[in-house]
Amino acid sequence: MPVVELTVNERAVRVDVPGQWTLIQLLRDGLGLLGTKEGCGEGSCGACTVLVDGRLTRACLALAVRADGARVTTIEGVGTDAALHPIQDAFVRHGAIQCGFCTPGLVITTKALLDEHPWPTDHDIREFLSGNFCRCAGYNLILNAVRDAAGVVTEKR
Amino acid sequence: MDKLPWLGASVKRKEDDRLLRGSGRFLDDVEETLALHLAIGRCPYPHARIRRIDAARALELSGVETVLIGEQVVARTEPITVLRPFPGSAPTVFHGMAHGVARYEGEPVVAVAAVDRYVAEDALELIDVDYEPLPHVITVEDALRPGAPQLHATVPGNVVVESTVRAGEPDKRLADAAVTVDGTFRINRVSGAPIETRGVIARWAEDTSTLELWASTQTPHLLRAQLAHCLRMDETDVRVIAPDVGGAFGLKIGVYPEDIIAALLAIDTRRPVKWIEDRTEFFRGAAHAREAVHALTIGADRDGALLVLRDRYLIDLGAYHGPLGPPLLTSIMLAGPYRLHDAEIHRRVVLTNKVPMGAYRGYGQAESNYVREVLVDRLARRLGQDPADFRRRNLLRPDELPFKNVSGATYDSGDYARGLERALSRVGYETFRTRQKAWRQQGRHVGVGMSCYVEFTGYPSSAFLGRTGARFGAYESVTLRMDRAGRAALSTGVSTFGQGTETTFAQMAASLLGLDPVDVAIHRGDSQGTPYSVGGFASRTMIAGAGAIEKAAGQIRDKMLRIAGHILDVDPAALEATAGMIRRRDDPSVQVSIQRVSEAAFLGHPLPPGEDPGLEATAYFDPPSSAFGYGTVVAQVEVDARSGEFALQRYILVHDCGTQVNPMIVEGQVQGAVAQGIAAALFEELVYDRETGQLVNGTMVDYFMPTAADLPAFELDHLETPSPVTPFGIKGVGEGGTIAAAAAITNAVCDALAPFGVDLDRLPVTAESIWRALAGARAKG
Ligand code: FES
Ligand code: FES
Repeated sequence: MPVVELTVNERAVRVDVPGQWTLIQLLRDGLGLLGTKEGCGEGSCGACTVLVDGRLTRACLALAVRADGARVTTIEGVGTDAALHPIQDAFVRHGAIQCGFCTPGLVITTKALLDEHPWPTDHDIREFLSGNFCRCAGYNLILNAVRDAAGVVTEKR
Repeated sequence: MDKLPWLGASVKRKEDDRLLRGSGRFLDDVEETLALHLAIGRCPYPHARIRRIDAARALELSGVETVLIGEQVVARTEPITVLRPFPGSAPTVFHGMAHGVARYEGEPVVAVAAVDRYVAEDALELIDVDYEPLPHVITVEDALRPGAPQLHATVPGNVVVESTVRAGEPDKRLADAAVTVDGTFRINRVSGAPIETRGVIARWAEDTSTLELWASTQTPHLLRAQLAHCLRMDETDVRVIAPDVGGAFGLKIGVYPEDIIAALLAIDTRRPVKWIEDRTEFFRGAAHAREAVHALTIGADRDGALLVLRDRYLIDLGAYHGPLGPPLLTSIMLAGPYRLHDAEIHRRVVLTNKVPMGAYRGYGQAESNYVREVLVDRLARRLGQDPADFRRRNLLRPDELPFKNVSGATYDSGDYARGLERALSRVGYETFRTRQKAWRQQGRHVGVGMSCYVEFTGYPSSAFLGRTGARFGAYESVTLRMDRAGRAALSTGVSTFGQGTETTFAQMAASLLGLDPVDVAIHRGDSQGTPYSVGGFASRTMIAGAGAIEKAAGQIRDKMLRIAGHILDVDPAALEATAGMIRRRDDPSVQVSIQRVSEAAFLGHPLPPGEDPGLEATAYFDPPSSAFGYGTVVAQVEVDARSGEFALQRYILVHDCGTQVNPMIVEGQVQGAVAQGIAAALFEELVYDRETGQLVNGTMVDYFMPTAADLPAFELDHLETPSPVTPFGIKGVGEGGTIAAAAAITNAVCDALAPFGVDLDRLPVTAESIWRALAGARAKG
């Protein structure tokens, strides 16, 4: 069985990985990091989004063996035990979470957005978030949370 | 009672911290060692005889534990019961697996339990199922034709039930009416499509000889009742646990075939059996919703007073009764918020070879709102009246409430016209018609559409449900217990699926016990250790739950005051519980902490003479009445009259859900429901091919759910009329946002295209459907 060495949330790990495993299996079944969710397994919903070397990646599609040597950030690596990350805090304050199944993927996506565009336009925000379905919260509250986290004033009609 | 300190406060949600950190535990996160994994073979045809199943080669595959086929399931189980059958329905015998005949694409036919899902799926490939395809029906009209294929021997003509509701003298009013309009409307088949699919883990607990079932469900207790019945077990020997549920929307009510299959396999193998639905299965196995065809007529007198409504509609049930049953609220809410005394509503529930129908947020109410409000606009146009004026004239006034509508529902309270006016002023309706004219001269087609609704929330008593044949009550229940540290634990059978119940229940309990919501721990969703519960659906949990919390907390508070009175040597009647203390109302310096009182109850000392130890209460509350929310949506669109393309420019909803327990949660519920309402109105439709009977677009790629890039900002406004008939004046709020969307947008498009005389009569509203309607109108000249 191939062995994959990678850094997950700043920790170096070695995992035995069956050849057909995807990255989400490596994270969930190999490392017990259950925060990354699978909503479709076909690359459509964005629930499984993680960062691989800083890039947004659908963990349900990425092959686990390809993650050898990569730096992966999952929801468990955002925020600390003591405090939520400002993105997470903005989600709480704006009521942007309901069932929470899409939330880890959305928080990771927002992190990638703000890493790349510290001052995103509304267009950037919608563009980035358009790969993540949320079925509960109706997007506007999520957009408000992201704007707030980005320090962007909410667009008013 | 004094004002409750946490009632109406936007307390941060208790659920959020774990969900944001990835520490929420959903079904797939429940760890089971040595679990077997389940794969289900499903019928690839819409209708087929299963002649023979040969699983020999699959059983030889290494890693395969066992195979289950329909014959075994049918022999060992009872059919799935229907929680809320349409009165008078013929049964459609629905088992956990098809035996003999399968009736929809996706119906389970065979199942494999194996060491992992890959092996189980490989084994399915090795199973030979000999199918004989049978003729199928995909539309309700086809199902009703003489000579149509019959789905169930128990249902002659494919009509599960046919019945009529009549009030007043509809025939006479129709004859009297100066103006009548009619229309035939097709409502699309859609899916609630939660981001977490369904899933189940079944485990036989050897030590207690009981079955444990972890399930992604919004009704743990009802699922247990139905599952135990199917398995011929006692409820006491079945435990159902709902972990965090990743969205439900009505689709996760009651027992599903896969629950039964997993349970049987766990019993047989004595190992945990796990099944996580994949998306392909989801679109072919989880309940579909909404599909119906209505032929509606309404009439008014010359002045525009609404006189009469007549509807003949067909509900497309799919191939079986699902665990809940078809919507009853379509008929009950057809009259909407108008002064109407005469109506005839004729409905037939019809079988087709499609996935069984289930509930979806706004069940039945979204359907009837759409057909009525679209036709109301046509009637106003025919009368030469402004649609706003027509509604102003016919909306029930506050002084006419309570009002019993033509179907027997009693609207409790509200100011319907105020909601309409507020929404209209927000869009600038006063001046809109002038602006619209100017735009038209520039060749721009901008329209405003409105849609008024009144919404049934909660059930009017268990006795009412019982009389109409339901197999559940209207109540909710809680157990509340103080621990020695002075914190409360609240146990509820309601599961957590996004609705924020952990927070709102904690707010209610904290308010009544003199605590902070952080000091109320919530245990939820486990049938063991929670009192009988109905569950989270029908916008009923907050109403019924608040009543139960009020009773249980009241008992505990009274006992705390007695104990405190004993400790302080003060008459308990002079005491109050607030901010963690029990103190004298007139002299707050005389006080003792709730922690100390709780400790006394725990130690059994010091207590007043004759007082039992413990601070714990279980209470049930059965609401005597439903409460009716209401609101108005005003939508503004601009349409390209050549291509039919259009932009939804503004979406305004003014609504009233009575007392708001947590305004931030209310806002979220409304935002989410509006998004789903617009999604079903503009984007989503499950399409079946009439020739092949196959679902054409059963993937997330082809089923167009909106993303953050697809929806406008919604403009929401709240009115607050406390209900006179519910605890604390609470009305349900989870569903209302879905109800009025389709009609408001349809009316806006038709308003924009009024010079062309365009009528739209099907959902979803798309550029293509508008283009076709334009072409049709042009052809008519
Ligand atoms: S689970 Fe990976 S995109 Fe949906
Ligand atoms: S919060 Fe439920 S899917 Fe987004």
